Amino acid sequence: MSLANLCHVISHLNNVTKARLSLASIPNTKLHLKLCLALQNDGFLSTVVRGGPTPPEPHHLLGHPSSQDIEPVTQSNVASRRLWLGMKYWRSEPVLGKMTMVSTPKRRVYVDLPTLRQVVRGNNTPYLEGLRSPGESLYLSTDKGIMEARECVEKKCGGLVLCRVR
Amino acid sequence: MSLTRPARCMFCNLSRAASAAPRVPRRQFHPSPFRLNDQKPKDPAAVPPVVSQNKPEEVKMKLEEISRTMKPESLRPYTEEERAALAEVYSPEQIAAIEAGEAAIDPKDMAEQFGIRSDPMRMKYLDDFSHIEPGVDKNKRAPKTNSDYQQKMKTEDEIVADFAKYMMETPREDFSVEHFIRFAETTRVTKGKEEAERNPHSAMAPDFFQQGEKLREMDDEGKEGLVADESILKPGASLEKEAPPLKQLIESTGLSKEYIGGLYTKVLVFHTVTNQTRLGKVQRYYSLSVAGNRKGLIGLGEAKSFEAADAQEQSRYRAIRNMQPILRYEDRTIFGDVTAKVGAMDLKLMTRPPGFGLRCQSLIYEICRAAGISDLAARVNRSRNKMNTVKAAFAALLSQKNPEDVARARGKKMVDVRKVYYSGRVQ
Repeated sequence: MSLANLCHVISHLNNVTKARLSLASIPNTKLHLKLCLALQNDGFLSTVVRGGPTPPEPHHLLGHPSSQDIEPVTQSNVASRRLWLGMKYWRSEPVLGKMTMVSTPKRRVYVDLPTLRQVVRGNNTPYLEGLRSPGESLYLSTDKGIMEARECVEKKCGGLVLCRVR
Repeated sequence: MSLTRPARCMFCNLSRAASAAPRVPRRQFHPSPFRLNDQKPKDPAAVPPVVSQNKPEEVKMKLEEISRTMKPESLRPYTEEERAALAEVYSPEQIAAIEAGEAAIDPKDMAEQFGIRSDPMRMKYLDDFSHIEPGVDKNKRAPKTNSDYQQKMKTEDEIVADFAKYMMETPREDFSVEHFIRFAETTRVTKGKEEAERNPHSAMAPDFFQQGEKLREMDDEGKEGLVADESILKPGASLEKEAPPLKQLIESTGLSKEYIGGLYTKVLVFHTVTNQTRLGKVQRYYSLSVAGNRKGLIGLGEAKSFEAADAQEQSRYRAIRNMQPILRYEDRTIFGDVTAKVGAMDLKLMTRPPGFGLRCQSLIYEICRAAGISDLAARVNRSRNKMNTVKAAFAALLSQKNPEDVARARGKKMVDVRKVYYSGRVQ
């Protein structure tokens, strides 16, 4: 789990939303993929598509896949795979707001369940600020997968705090 | 749609992929993936026992069970008791129609249509598709236009034929002129879709108003059924006596003098500014004011003048002119924590519970008073320039995110738990 690469991804996504781009590409790793799927599940991203170095066909992005078109991941092409993310905008404002890393490569922040409960309620804790603004989200890497903080509380698991989305 | 899921399972419902992607049901109001309860119970002993066999077969079958194990043989004609029950509700003709209709359906078809599907192409949820679910199904829309490309004018012969038919059908006894008039009014002059003639396409603006509604007019203010808007200037009110700046404000905003007088205005920053020219220093007075109606409407105004009073008055009026609405949570605090940065000012406004009060510095306190915010905490970092503090606080109040917008943008449902807990009795 390279947090350094995740830092690059997050700052790239921040730049993408500032430039109001519709499509972003990030390196294909399991961590990035799981985080993007969690973001997509929460409605921050419209599409998550694995493709090559060039953008995938538009019908993939529009959600009409045909099974013949998907290029399977093999040992020979795995290095060139990238994740293509469809960004969302609402009333000319990006849906995916400012993303910030919480854990850094130098200092990883882990939370247990009682602390996470406080955070979700909006209370500040020593290493983690509370979720206070409407729509603010926190993503954690737990042994049940990468999830949003509220979902972690629901499933009663703590973990490594990855990033915050405002 | 995510394509990261392997394609091998596209046509196989029976063995699901190990969860390469979160399984998202069609209607989802929660971020957590929906767990489909498709696993069989591990312990066979835990399965509840089958219903005892003393009762007859018909009683213990529920509708769901019947539809699950539907066979053509299970369709049987009505018993005498059922006939009697039907006769209470329906007339003999209706019963005859029901029986004829049921007899026309092949029992095999009936069993197939009524039973629950078990084929691999079945839907993952139970639905008979008899209703349109808003939010899931596409909207059922009225046809966009009534126009008919096949529409043609009737020939003279056809109109004569229509008239002859009409005459033949009218009873002879009560024949009168009214029948001719009715024929002239109701007969169609074109062939094709009826709506195309009766309700044709129009390029006119659609009728926005319901029965008895009309645009609000100044003269109607205060009449029965209409609430008078006190803020709007009455037509015909004389502005001759007003001072020129106030007159200009009233004319440009259309607000009444009484409403302007009732607004809360305050000069927040006032000092002299100096312009160094070739001829010497030119000193003027600078004023920054806030105006608000204490109900979520605030504005800032800046003015400079050689006269102190003039600058203050002008800045107040400009603040009134710049008023715009801000979001207030429960009419007492703000939505979430907001930050703003103006120059070297770094300012944070924090939402607080009821009864907390305005625990912030004086300038932000005055802005909140004008806006009608009563619970708030603020933190001013780095620079503490007065003018920039006011501007930053104003920008921060405007930068609040509306939770409804957030929900719409993400396509998620969001619920204010406070309102749920107090069953809507907050504010």
